[in-house]
Amino acid sequence: MADDRTHVSIIKRQGQRPTESFDKAKLHQSIVAATLSARTPSGQADNIANAVTNYVLEWLEHRPEVTSHDLRLVATRHLRAHHPDAAYLYEQHKTTL
Amino acid sequence: MDIASSLAIVTLAALIHASFQLSVSVLTLLSGHAIGSKTSQSRILRLTFGFVTGVGVMTLLALTFISFLFIHVFGNEAPQFVWAIACGLLIGVGLAVWFFYYRREKGTSLWIPRSFARHLSDRSKATKHSAEAFSLGLTSVISELLFIAAPMIISALVIIQLPGAWQLVGIAIYAVISLLTLFSIWVLISSGHKLSSIQKWREDNKHFIQFAAGGALAILGFFVYVTKIMSDVAGAI
Repeated sequence: MADDRTHVSIIKRQGQRPTESFDKAKLHQSIVAATLSARTPSGQADNIANAVTNYVLEWLEHRPEVTSHDLRLVATRHLRAHHPDAAYLYEQHKTTL
Repeated sequence: MDIASSLAIVTLAALIHASFQLSVSVLTLLSGHAIGSKTSQSRILRLTFGFVTGVGVMTLLALTFISFLFIHVFGNEAPQFVWAIACGLLIGVGLAVWFFYYRREKGTSLWIPRSFARHLSDRSKATKHSAEAFSLGLTSVISELLFIAAPMIISALVIIQLPGAWQLVGIAIYAVISLLTLFSIWVLISSGHKLSSIQKWREDNKHFIQFAAGGALAILGFFVYVTKIMSDVAGAI
């Protein structure tokens, strides 16, 4: 499995912002942040983020472009298996306000 | 209208204000970002307290400004047609809250301009200092003016007809009660409650909150119409 999949294009929400390349570190960071927000110790948050990021990388393997919405859905689905509270916060982030 | 009735109206208007959710959403986002970026608990406390203080100060300033404006224009007693407009506004906003307060999607997205929501969301992520959190609190009250203007206007109309010292009491009661929800959420977050539980409770009960806020606005409008306009008209006859 490749570590960097920057050739995968991420189509941003409703096409309002320009398409950008997939950034593994950005995804990892967002999962860590959501997991920490659910009051999880940082080591555990990092492990969960690694597992979810690897799963998303596998999912991206045969897809040249995906929407940011789909990416979030897939990450949420896998995060839910590890930490339901963190998955809820991750899912709700865009719809809290 | 006697002092007790006036303060009761101010209290109900402030409770309605407290039921509006924009500031609570911003506080939830702000704490989520702060906790997620490994900010220390004491800094999270300072940030969130700065935000709550900003909301309180802006609420105080807005109500004082509206009251001052009314005293300047109408003196201590506003004409009947202004009361009638304020009552109509309360009932109209109440109906609007019933139909439009939350967006029809998952979560607790509010029916405010998306540019405001994006700005508040981005700023809550970028806020690192108490002073920024304070200004975010000020801004969030402005963003919510669409909904809180009606209870503030009716409170200001009631407050200006009170004797001098009671005017200050009325303004203080409004500011304190309108902050109750936000303060409760601040206490929960500060005491280590999970954000997911708070957000889940808000999402599960959003329709009740929406119904209660809209209904209370309409009831307040009707009550003020009966006690102020109809009783004055009946007295004149």
